[in-house]
Amino acid sequence: MTPDSSKTAETVTSDDTPLLSESLANRRRFAVQMRIDGSPLKTITQTTGLSAPTVIAAFKAWNTGGWKAIEPAPRGRAAGSRQLDDAQQTQLQRVLLTSPPNDGDSPLWHVGNAHNYLTETGVSLTPRSVTRYLALWGLTPPPRKFDAETASDCVPVPTPVYRVTVSTADGRSVFATRDPRGKLHWIGFDGPPTTDRIIDFLNRLTRLGSSRSRSIVIKGIDIARTNAIRAWITENCCNTDVFTASAASLTKISALAPQAQHAASVDQGNEQQNDLNVSRLTMNQSSTARQTEPVPTMTDSNTAASINTTSSATADGLLPGSDTLTHLQRLEAESIHIMREVVAEADNPVMMYSIGKDSAVMLHLAAKAFYPAPPPFPLLHVDTTWKFRAMYEFRDRIAKELGFELLVHINQEGVAQGVNPFTHGSALHTDIMKTEALKQALDKYQFDVAFGGARRDEEKSRAKERIFSFRSAQHRWEPKAQRPELWRQYNTRKQKSESIRVFPLSNWTELDIWQYIYRESIPIVPLYYAGERPVVERDGTLIMVDDDRMPLHDGEVPQMRSVRFRTLGCYPLTGAVESTAATLPDIIQEMLLTKTSERQGRMIDHDNAASMEKKKQEGYF
Amino acid sequence: MDTAANDLLHTDIHQYLHQHENKTLLRFITCGSVDDGKSTLIGRLLYESKVLFEDQLDAVEADSKKWGTQGKEMDFALLVDGLAAEREQGITIDVAYRFFATDQRKFIVADTPGHEQYTRNMVTGASTADVAVILVDARQGILTQTRRHSYLASLIGIKNVVLAINKMDLVGYSEDKYQAIIDDYTTFAKQVNIEHFTPIPMSALKGDNIIEPGNAMPWYRGTTLMSYLETVKVNSDRMQEQPFRMPVQWVNRPNLDFRGFAGTVASGVIKPGDAIRVQPTGKESTVKRIVTRDGDLEKAVAGQSVTLTMNDEIDISRGDIISTVDNPASSADQFESTVVWMHDDAMLPGRPYLMKIGTRTVTATITDIKYEVNVNTLEHTACKNLQLNNIAVCNINTDQQVAFDAYTDNRDTGGFILIDRITNNTVGAGMLHFALRRSDNIHMQAVDVDKEIRANLKNQKACVLWFTGLSGAGKSTIANLVEKKLAMQGRHTYLLDGDNIRHGLNKDLGFTDADRVENIRRIAEVARLMVDSGLIVLSAFISPFRAERQMARGMVDADEFMEVFVETPLNVAEERDVKGLYKKARRGELKNFTGIDSPYEAPENAELLLDTSTMTAEQAAERVIKELRRRGIISED
Repeated sequence: MTPDSSKTAETVTSDDTPLLSESLANRRRFAVQMRIDGSPLKTITQTTGLSAPTVIAAFKAWNTGGWKAIEPAPRGRAAGSRQLDDAQQTQLQRVLLTSPPNDGDSPLWHVGNAHNYLTETGVSLTPRSVTRYLALWGLTPPPRKFDAETASDCVPVPTPVYRVTVSTADGRSVFATRDPRGKLHWIGFDGPPTTDRIIDFLNRLTRLGSSRSRSIVIKGIDIARTNAIRAWITENCCNTDVFTASAASLTKISALAPQAQHAASVDQGNEQQNDLNVSRLTMNQSSTARQTEPVPTMTDSNTAASINTTSSATADGLLPGSDTLTHLQRLEAESIHIMREVVAEADNPVMMYSIGKDSAVMLHLAAKAFYPAPPPFPLLHVDTTWKFRAMYEFRDRIAKELGFELLVHINQEGVAQGVNPFTHGSALHTDIMKTEALKQALDKYQFDVAFGGARRDEEKSRAKERIFSFRSAQHRWEPKAQRPELWRQYNTRKQKSESIRVFPLSNWTELDIWQYIYRESIPIVPLYYAGERPVVERDGTLIMVDDDRMPLHDGEVPQMRSVRFRTLGCYPLTGAVESTAATLPDIIQEMLLTKTSERQGRMIDHDNAASMEKKKQEGYF
Repeated sequence: MDTAANDLLHTDIHQYLHQHENKTLLRFITCGSVDDGKSTLIGRLLYESKVLFEDQLDAVEADSKKWGTQGKEMDFALLVDGLAAEREQGITIDVAYRFFATDQRKFIVADTPGHEQYTRNMVTGASTADVAVILVDARQGILTQTRRHSYLASLIGIKNVVLAINKMDLVGYSEDKYQAIIDDYTTFAKQVNIEHFTPIPMSALKGDNIIEPGNAMPWYRGTTLMSYLETVKVNSDRMQEQPFRMPVQWVNRPNLDFRGFAGTVASGVIKPGDAIRVQPTGKESTVKRIVTRDGDLEKAVAGQSVTLTMNDEIDISRGDIISTVDNPASSADQFESTVVWMHDDAMLPGRPYLMKIGTRTVTATITDIKYEVNVNTLEHTACKNLQLNNIAVCNINTDQQVAFDAYTDNRDTGGFILIDRITNNTVGAGMLHFALRRSDNIHMQAVDVDKEIRANLKNQKACVLWFTGLSGAGKSTIANLVEKKLAMQGRHTYLLDGDNIRHGLNKDLGFTDADRVENIRRIAEVARLMVDSGLIVLSAFISPFRAERQMARGMVDADEFMEVFVETPLNVAEERDVKGLYKKARRGELKNFTGIDSPYEAPENAELLLDTSTMTAEQAAERVIKELRRRGIISED
């Protein structure tokens, strides 16, 4: 390069681009003028610093197009020539992410046929740009191996293995897989992943590649109990195995209805079945359709415990420097006082146990109140039979650990009538299996006082309920006939047929409960912590598909999402929230930051504002 | 509320939790009516402390449109009005408890209505409060209700009073107006023993001086409401400076080696080794351990629920108060106290009620109402009984010794509730002033000849036959016949009836409800003495109230009382009208006549029922004799 051109290069870096093209254009104009004037090429190149071919080209252009032709062309790509605007993107997403390819040779979309489609419709994007846009829309090839495969050390056979992710963003469901060469294939639909769509996808997937058999590992939906899909698996079991990957384990979906299979294919089929079920898993991975969640023990709260010991509280638990009790200490003392008052005066008290976090705190306080004696009353769980399985496991374990006698009452009439939240609706179900069942239990065991874990901050009508709440012989609550409660004086006297509900946690707030659980390392049901769980979305609420009794709507398929529960009740009536909070501090942080109040998750409260008050008058706890 | 804390919430949840774990707790009450903006104030405190959840706010916004009184603005008051009935009426009618927290403290607000008919509710809400926030509408100044609220706050022993002069925005944030209200209030405060109060000018609606001072009142340099609430001393701290008291709730005996006394420390501090005295028994020992599930404590302070063990095997039971040996609780069975009546059924002097004080429940009778206090004017007036929301200074007797402190020294050992023995309702609350005399000096004289010996001499068992029924039912006729039959068998009897009682012992009594109660009380006392002397006592009085018959029953042993219900329909009795009394009553010449304008409460579990519309007096008397034989009162001869 000549010194001049290096000077030009300097200009390039220091000046704005328009100025540069302007100065170049000037030099070009000047060179053309010199050429017209008859200057020799060498003089021109020396004067303008332009190269000879540039000068020749400029003159040619002037010759054909006049001065206009040597005006600088717009630099770079024209706006929009490769960049898609929002409208275009929306349009393309609609085609690429919610409809199948119409190219008969490829069952699924891939970058190649997508590029072809775009070219046909006049959008010129390079295949690389297509990939870039797909990634922008959240579509990338699934990983080479899911974490679950590594965690369970389990290798699916037969090969090739197609790993599939299902994403449900923006109201679409998109199935993406990678072929053995790492190439992305996908297909999307409008709406949630239904059985029809999943089967459509599986059919298409089996047409992919030339191999006769394959394994499919799906992450993001739970198809284990979807009969239509299992029927498909059954039909295709000779050449395709399907697995689901959860956070930690890989589960093979077994073929449907063994009896039917047996009938169809006698002894030979039987052997094949075994083969399918077990032998293809190289490790001893259990192939049960569902796995139970590990119950965290006290040591699981290690972090909580260790932080607690570093707190500056003194040996007797008081605030440093003074004897002022903290709010938690005062709440604790009040609850204990209430429990002791009941035990001293009641004939036959019982503690209602709902297995939730408030119950957990109540149990813990009871253990403290009567220490070193065991709590002098039994626990009563009014079981609607629709609680989460994790709750039942937790209930049995905790009652044993704390030395409580556990009574479980189920409304057998309700069971006999087949009452359930699906066909009878939440209101009737709650009424029969909870409210009625509670009355039955209290009558059956002749309990005169029952502890409940309700708090005044839960809901407006609770704010006015007394700590000692009287119920008539018919278990009704009369908001207008409540007894005044002064100081620490509680009037526990009642007529023979009457009963009292006592709420020792009345003055606790949700945050107090969580903070106390944290401070005291109280074990709670793991469902409060976030985890990958199968859920379906109904009326905007995420419902966990906890067992096979939950009827799925036509085509509905549970999706695996990271969710947790803010309250626990009957699983079909309890909404999950999407969350990644896996420790107590995470939960507390999330609670304080998200600010949606607790009972929102409970579907029984949705009816109307006064509904809880009515339920209480009728005897709901 | 504090941005630093909010940052902490985002960045370091562990540190945040640690900080919030060490908050203190303050309970306060807001007094004022709907018009003073009380609900708006509480709503704002909740809103500003960010305890409200999105969906609650959404609900309030929706409600504001439906019920709100603030046009399109958010109506904070709707956050705190709870029950459906009230919401429709637009007023709060009970005690509601609200919760919020700042970085320093957790707060529990007792929200009570301000009208006079809700005095009961305010007293209830105030009983646990450290602070009273008394709202005043700046436009109105000190009103009758402000005085009432101040009196009640002082009566219940609240030491920290905030005079919240609200709606300053509506008086142009005028300092003169503010000063005038303070001057007005200062004079009054002295009358009700409020030595000190904190005035704060504010606008709950606009937010001035609630959390932040705002710019509207540059002339005010005092505290904002929130910073006052965050820093004022809580009651349980003050109680730690008082002598040690712990009412025993429950004796913990899981096995023979452990005997612990569980309770909540009402005042003071206790450490292992401290000498204690148990009241009212007067037994002494020293504390061995302070047992909790988290390990033994080195000390326990007011407000903590603990279990104490003693170095000596002394008898301590529920209801006793463990006190420091240097300054123990007093013990007595006659007191002067202030009583707040909380029930629709009036309090009648002489009627026995259950009294729950500390953890002890005893039978108590108001012997004498010294005067009633007019809650609006503070005037003292004479009165014969107490109606709902009445407040009076009374003398009270209990049937056994009670350990106590003056209420002004200790709310937990000096405050009590009164319970109706029939309905079990909490009908009143009281605050003990002092013991009327040292009851320790009076002892029951034990005698060698007792009831049983006296009765045996007469070859019978003593008992009371308590005839009850409407006037004209035939009580006296039947009782007379029964006595005649008994006399013929050689039994020793005595018949108490209107003739020998109303004309003598009780001739000072009229026929008001209160006098009827006293009438029966005296008759029951006489009957008790006669039973003690070994007689079969027949009493024939209308005795219309269940409670008094219950009292009479309670005075003698269970098998010595036979309630005989002489049942006659009112129209039958009125038809008989032997003495012409029904006619007089119908003409209005006789007031408070049972069955006409005074109630008769029929017995529910009478030992014997005599229906005189289906049997003659002779048959009825025979039936009574048969029952006496069956019960072994008289022998089968």
